[in-house]
Amino acid sequence: MISIKFRGIEKSFARRKILDCVDIELASGACLLLCGKNGSGKSTLLKILAGMERPDHAEIELGGKTYSWREAKKILLHKSIYLHQSPYLFEGSVWRNLDYPLSGARAARRSEIEYALEWADLAELADENVAHLSGGERQRVALARALLRKPQVMLLDEPTANMDTDSRQRTLSLLEQLKQEGIALVVVTHDPVHFIGKGEQRLMLQSGKLTTPEEPLVAGNISELKPVSKVGS
Amino acid sequence: MQLLFAADPELWGIIGISFKVSMSALLLALPIGLLIAFGLAYGNFIGRRFLITSFNTLLSFPAVVVGLTFYILLSRQGPLGEWRLLFTQPAMIIGQMALAIPILVAMGHSALQAIDRRAWETARTLGASLPRATMTIMREARFGLLAALLAAFGRIISEVGASMMLGGNILHYTRNIPTAIALETSKGEFAQGVALGLVLLLMAFTLNGMLQLVQGKGRLAA
Repeated sequence: MISIKFRGIEKSFARRKILDCVDIELASGACLLLCGKNGSGKSTLLKILAGMERPDHAEIELGGKTYSWREAKKILLHKSIYLHQSPYLFEGSVWRNLDYPLSGARAARRSEIEYALEWADLAELADENVAHLSGGERQRVALARALLRKPQVMLLDEPTANMDTDSRQRTLSLLEQLKQEGIALVVVTHDPVHFIGKGEQRLMLQSGKLTTPEEPLVAGNISELKPVSKVGS
Repeated sequence: MQLLFAADPELWGIIGISFKVSMSALLLALPIGLLIAFGLAYGNFIGRRFLITSFNTLLSFPAVVVGLTFYILLSRQGPLGEWRLLFTQPAMIIGQMALAIPILVAMGHSALQAIDRRAWETARTLGASLPRATMTIMREARFGLLAALLAAFGRIISEVGASMMLGGNILHYTRNIPTAIALETSKGEFAQGVALGLVLLLMAFTLNGMLQLVQGKGRLAA
């Protein structure tokens, strides 16, 4: 079980405040859907949560202790994983990519990779060069590779963007499994409707503030999520 | 050609010295050049642009000026005179390193900068340590880096200015292919000069062939 509380995250670019005193809590098995306009700072927030981007200010509460972001950076990098909107796969085969986060004896790595290949329905593509994969397959390779890292928090930037229905369903199903395994998910999405019924909590990032939309999410009516109250306030 | 095929010991000795000195210089320059290239490609510090411009400028620095600079430094009255390196193979290696490093930095920087930023972020988020993430990026950029390596080797094996000034063209010790060609030509002994020239030409052709092969593979893998 994990619980990480981020308090007062602030970040500015060229004197423009992108994140203004944002509070957010990540917990095992929870799924946060992060919405907002392009350029509202969603990806920056994810990278800060992942320990990859330094905020101007942030306090992190973890295991009963409070750390500055700089102090918590190593822990965040260790516990969480960040997936780009268009995942980067290293040159070579699917197998090589899945082997990347692993260490230890070859036999143990092999067994873990075979499990991940089955999990993501990629067994037939194990030896395929990643340059020949479709967008949906690349996303599944990235998810399987992330799974092998055994993260407690997974931060996903638009994981279902530009996917056909079948690929999207497969990806959503994998995310559901990750959630059930107790991984805390934070998903940036422009289409939160796809996540209906996943026990998600929706958040909206607007003008640097994180808020909870009041209106219930209804399929076919997702374009306007109006912020009404600040999370945690 | 007869000289080459007759395995003339003097000729092959000169070729051996050339390769020994240039390979040593390249191997020593490689980690320095790649490290600077990586710092310039991924670092964010004041003076970065100035350094990039400086290394690009050094690409066109004449070998003879590099030779002169190190000659002044290594001569008896120079600041490094106590090392007594002038007219030795180590002096030639230092001079050739100074010629190779700007090529490795400039071409290496371009190759590394062409790699998607997400590669670094992905390596780090997958738990790679800083050295492992660095090696991952080097691997992703390997075709460009190999091209830089071959270009640097091509430059230093054929340069005459620095080798002549720092090595002194001593037979069986510091006489390499370019300095031997210069000497033989000045004596009117064209046969040996032409034979050595053919060796350089063959080597240049082989290097370019390898470069084409490497770049072709890079395009296929992309």
